[in-house]
Amino acid sequence: MIENIVSIVQENWLLLLIGQYPNGPLGGLASTFILSVLSIVLAFPVGILLALARLSPWRAVLWPATAFVYVARGVPLLMLILWVYFMVPLLIGRTVPGFVTMLVTLVLYEAAFLSEIIRAGILALGRGQMEAARSLGHGYFGAMRWVILPQALYNMLPSILSQFVSTIKETTLGYVINVPELTFAANQINNRLLTQPFEVFAILAIVYYVICWSLTKAATTLERRIAAKRAGTRRIAPELRPQALTAEL
Amino acid sequence: MSGFDVLAVLSNPEFAGMLIAGIQMTFVIAVGSWTLAMSLGFLLLVIRQIPVPIADRFVAAYVSYHRNVPTLVQLILWYFGIYSLLPEELQYWLSDHNAEVIFAIIGLGLCQAAYFTEDLRSGLRSVPKGQVEAARALGHGHISSMRYVLLPQAYRNALPALVNHSVSLFKNSSLAMAIGASELTHAVREVENLSFRTFETYAIATVAYLVCSLLIMAVGALLMKRAQVAGAR
Amino acid sequence: MSVSQDAAPAMIRFSNVNKHYGQYHALVDIDASVSKGEVLVVCGPSGSGKSTLIRTVNRLEEIDSGSITFDGREVSGRVGRADLNRLRSRIGFVFQSFNLFPHLSTLENITLSPIRINGVKKDLARTKAMALLDRVGLAEKANAYPAQLSGGQQQRVAIARALAMEPPAMLFDEPTSALDPEMVGEVLAVMKGLAAEGMTMICVTHEMGFAREVADRIWFMDAGRILETADPETFFTNPQHPRAQRFLSDLRH
Repeated sequence: MIENIVSIVQENWLLLLIGQYPNGPLGGLASTFILSVLSIVLAFPVGILLALARLSPWRAVLWPATAFVYVARGVPLLMLILWVYFMVPLLIGRTVPGFVTMLVTLVLYEAAFLSEIIRAGILALGRGQMEAARSLGHGYFGAMRWVILPQALYNMLPSILSQFVSTIKETTLGYVINVPELTFAANQINNRLLTQPFEVFAILAIVYYVICWSLTKAATTLERRIAAKRAGTRRIAPELRPQALTAEL
Repeated sequence: MSGFDVLAVLSNPEFAGMLIAGIQMTFVIAVGSWTLAMSLGFLLLVIRQIPVPIADRFVAAYVSYHRNVPTLVQLILWYFGIYSLLPEELQYWLSDHNAEVIFAIIGLGLCQAAYFTEDLRSGLRSVPKGQVEAARALGHGHISSMRYVLLPQAYRNALPALVNHSVSLFKNSSLAMAIGASELTHAVREVENLSFRTFETYAIATVAYLVCSLLIMAVGALLMKRAQVAGAR
Repeated sequence: MSVSQDAAPAMIRFSNVNKHYGQYHALVDIDASVSKGEVLVVCGPSGSGKSTLIRTVNRLEEIDSGSITFDGREVSGRVGRADLNRLRSRIGFVFQSFNLFPHLSTLENITLSPIRINGVKKDLARTKAMALLDRVGLAEKANAYPAQLSGGQQQRVAIARALAMEPPAMLFDEPTSALDPEMVGEVLAVMKGLAAEGMTMICVTHEMGFAREVADRIWFMDAGRILETADPETFFTNPQHPRAQRFLSDLRH
């Protein structure tokens, strides 16, 4: 079995890595990676706006944002993929590649989850920070920009990284609408070989495991570091001597 | 195709029947895998308490695998991979008994057990050591201090995560469609193909999913309210 | 009862201010003013409305009726957002819990608002911030982060941060209540220095020694009302209101 696995990898590593590119669309792990990164990067600003809307006293923004978050939390991702698959061509008047369908879905879905993380981060700061910023004369958005968000986002970095791991795992659902990515590539290999499904999909599982495990590990390390920093272990860091300071000023 | 008309789908006995069958199958998969996941979650928690290093390592590896490999890949591995490794008689038997549903329940259940057992464990660990010590100092035995002091607090602490993961499990039941189980999302695609009423069909299914998810969240909120102690945050 | 017979123009004036929290009447018919350059200490039992009172001045708390003016301009009622921010930047506010921004260094805590709100050039803001830090005795902590400072040091930085906006008046909301006893002195010393320079100050505090030594006037509050206003000497030696008498005798025991 191990021999089979090795030979499958030897014969198909390029397909697993980049799909049929350059003879076809970019696929495989490269596509999975690009899809995940793009999704989380684009979802991020949307998530911040949603979080602010969810904390707003104005019903006109609070309610739609809340409804959106609950729909994303309560409806399977697969169902949302079907919606986007159906709606986007209707809205823009032409069909789009599966990659775009998946990207749009993931941006919406992840934005909802990121907004919950960011919102929790903001609430965890307590009222004092906002009050202090407002007392100094910052407006709401100035206080958010310079005081609240830098702290909330920093404290929530581990959760945001975990959400990135979730996103990687969610890209596998593109398989259902034939988006060329890693799971799709494995399925292609399986369809060609026909006789070794366990080996093929075990390879797939191992690849995902290695990637997600490493990132999860990074998230926990980061979490410990941030917790230590907040507890004030920074005291250990050498403080700047006065002469060094004047030089800098 | 005329305008938005949910009734055009719901009043058609064939379509309505397919959707209801889909919802039923979704429930079978969700309830089945939830039961499996919760039992297994407790079992893994108990195994972790065994004071042998290998026990802890085994559970840690179990959790790590199931949390770091996408659920869909786990299902595919079960249905296309492990299925093929089984003895032939068993394969025949399974294919006569909705193999895709059985594997969906096993795959989702084993996967979610990893989340549940971690939720339970962090619930236990979040109770300060002093609580059990105080109980023991008052003369409670091991069982008694567990029963009256440790577990009620652990339950309260674990509840929010357990509820969230139960909602995920319910949503993930839709993944069973990818291995051919005829649950709700699967039924939706069939009805859509036959009725050409994509919008209506999706809307019905979305509302059905949303109502069930919100119901789970509401039950969770109710349980949390009941477990809430005055003054505690 | 009006208590603003001073010759100096009023810096802060409360006119018939009322505030409720639901059923609870938190501020009752507050009608009083603070003159330019005056150091006022507000004292009274906890829950008497002292903190609420000074928090209404920069509108961290809204009032239900009446009006408040600051430096001759209306604070209460409908004030445009930009005006409110400008107003707040001119009122220095020091919190019981410091509320330094933990993600910024000491120096950055002080320069943030002058740079972002007043558009002061970075170099100038830093020079001024260093001067302020020097004044509160913390120049060597410019690059330290709040978590590296003691409570007393954090509160001194918080005062420097408020001063960086060059406010004509400073409000102190129990600035020493969250401090260990040995750190109270260093914060009070900074406040005394400010008072000596002629800063208009309202201090909500339980430090009666400070009140006696530094205050020009004392307001005694209980149950949302100002029950007594007096100069410190009179207040501490010969309080008029029975509740003030009881408050002071409780303090002594």
